[in-house]
Amino acid sequence: MSLSIAGMSWVTPLGSNVNDVWQGLVAGEAAPIEILENAQNGARYLVRRVPPTATAHLPLHARLRRASAISRFAAAAGLAALAAAKTPPSLDRIALVFAISNGGVIYTRRFYADIVKSGAQSASPLLFPETVFNAPASHLAAILEISGASYTVVGDGAVGILALKLAEDLLASGDVDACLVVAAEEIDSLVCEAYRQWRFLRDPKKPETGRGMIMSEGAGAVLLKPSNGGIEIDQIVPGANFFRRSEASARLASVVSRLKNEIGFCVGSGNGTFIDRAERAAVGDEMPVYSPKIAIGESVGASVFWQLITAAKALEAGTLPGSSKPPVGSRALVLACGLNQQTGGLTVCFSARSH
Amino acid sequence: MKSEDKTSRRVAIVAAGIVSPLGFGLTETLQSLRRARDCVTPVTAFSVEKTRCKTAAQIDDGRLLDKANRSRQSRRLHRASYMVMTALAELLERAREFEPEIAIVGTTSGGMSFGENFYRTLGNGGACSAALIANYPPQKQIIDAMEKFGINAPAQVIANACASGTNAIGHAFNAIRTGRCQRILAGGYDALSELVFVGFDSLQAATPEKCRPFDSNRSGMVLGEGAALLALEEFESARRRGAEILGEITGYGISTDNHHLTQPNPDGSGPRRAMEQALAQAQLEPNQVGYINAHGTATVLNDTAEGKAIAELFGEVPVSSTKSMMGHSLGAAGAIEAVVSLLALQHQFLPPNINFREAELSLNIVANEARDAQFDCTISNSFGFGGTNATIVLRRFAR
Repeated sequence: MSLSIAGMSWVTPLGSNVNDVWQGLVAGEAAPIEILENAQNGARYLVRRVPPTATAHLPLHARLRRASAISRFAAAAGLAALAAAKTPPSLDRIALVFAISNGGVIYTRRFYADIVKSGAQSASPLLFPETVFNAPASHLAAILEISGASYTVVGDGAVGILALKLAEDLLASGDVDACLVVAAEEIDSLVCEAYRQWRFLRDPKKPETGRGMIMSEGAGAVLLKPSNGGIEIDQIVPGANFFRRSEASARLASVVSRLKNEIGFCVGSGNGTFIDRAERAAVGDEMPVYSPKIAIGESVGASVFWQLITAAKALEAGTLPGSSKPPVGSRALVLACGLNQQTGGLTVCFSARSH
Repeated sequence: MKSEDKTSRRVAIVAAGIVSPLGFGLTETLQSLRRARDCVTPVTAFSVEKTRCKTAAQIDDGRLLDKANRSRQSRRLHRASYMVMTALAELLERAREFEPEIAIVGTTSGGMSFGENFYRTLGNGGACSAALIANYPPQKQIIDAMEKFGINAPAQVIANACASGTNAIGHAFNAIRTGRCQRILAGGYDALSELVFVGFDSLQAATPEKCRPFDSNRSGMVLGEGAALLALEEFESARRRGAEILGEITGYGISTDNHHLTQPNPDGSGPRRAMEQALAQAQLEPNQVGYINAHGTATVLNDTAEGKAIAELFGEVPVSSTKSMMGHSLGAAGAIEAVVSLLALQHQFLPPNINFREAELSLNIVANEARDAQFDCTISNSFGFGGTNATIVLRRFAR
């Protein structure tokens, strides 16, 4: 089923205006790199953070008073994607689908730290509800007054594909007229430490090297409707899981083979880890490949949405950042490979149909 | 009632697998339900010295690890992975040829206790095992189980808090009903963890006493754990290949209650909308439902809102919360209770709501003992933090 992207938005370390960030990517800009220190063990990590101004304009809604950064990013992106739609959907016929990987880790760490340091009797009943994976989706639903279907999908860096697939299923059922699909993540030292110990992070002493990923945070959102012309998601293929890293390229190649031909370029999920080679092997040497993660970092659960918006803008502009040649072909491939076994892909195209 | 699209497909349950405090497998689960077994025991997995609640319904680790028949490679997996493996093993024993196109499962916390170990180890200055990190994420447990049995399908993991399992089954039902898929592995899983246990204790949603859903003296929930999986298949496809059909799913409703992050609107409007939608999709009148497996957490707020909605919509239809016996297994609860509802339909009995003493609401509670009954349809409710409400309708399959 083809799906029109009726509105899209992102909150990234490079900015939150779709066109401005896109122009920045085309110009080869990258978000500033900061150092985050872990108070537990003194480890240091390179990170790209969203500037505080990105969420300064949010409505003074009661749900956001205590909400963590992840919920604020999600609200900013979700509201902007809805505002970008030429014809906003009726809120009683809209579903909310949320993609997440690490979730509200800042409050989760704080909540558990209290248990460890001071005992269970010190645990905060205010923090606990914010640790639940669907808390950001709940806040956004409350702000928008969405009372129908709301789903939070969890997974690794490919989770966005699975969330978009769920949205496609909902729209195909005819039960809703539109789906607001949002993804968000926030940075915390605990998550950085996990990836460091897993040996996926870039060495803070060698920030200029391409090896290893730089964690980032933010959100992405798209408002999807049944096909109506314009930029469309043409096909969504959740891939099989890889059980060993050496299998990743074969799983990705299988995803690519199930997607339609005429793919002109790929917006991939390369992040300085084994994923870079796996993706290149899957699409072949000839296909132009660009990963926005080189400029705005690895936002895990939100990353597919950053890729999708990049692909849409590249199709619209006929330009692929980092490529000297204009992309050839009518479709863009968004390919996603997570660090923890999940894969998937989708194609984006420009359709002239409109009614 | 809304009329169903003519292109709508029927959805058959062709196999099921379960592990919960009620037992390992369908047979043990059935026996425990009939015997009204109280599975709540003192917590052993972590210290409960400083919590108000001290009990939970737990799965025996020795038996779990033995059942999972661990290989060398799988020794470092999370115990939630072994729960999913145990449920999947039973399901595949009954449907060896079942090849799902996708797994749609619910969970709230995956391998959370590995995350806790990671944090504690870090605080102690120790080096963490990569296995703790790699096996912690919530999608890992279903992927582990599928790997063990050679199933290579994508895993769509829904984390809608305590409604996750029902949402997963409901969404899988809709995907088959609308012709998007033919075969789906659906269900849910969750394992007890300190963080979640203390969380519910901090909210004073957990009780230091007996779990008494819908009782006027109810004082809160007890936590549980487990995994349950259903093999869902498009009905005609299942019949063509001669698969045994255990029952059908015929309706699904989902709503979002924006009243509060953790508290339902006391008017019961959120649960009511989910139940009404599910009935409409199943083309059922409320009086055609023979049993309601309630969410029934035994918290004051949930049971008041749910009870009000049930009483207004269904009147005298028998209701029980089986969480009174096996605790609240969060993301697994909807899946486990779908299997409980399936067993009730197949064996024509009403599972009991134990520890019940005094009614507060005008509900027909199946109090303390299982009862024989004749009925064709049941609904199963799950509601969660974030205001997610989900209901599925199951129908008996008459050969």
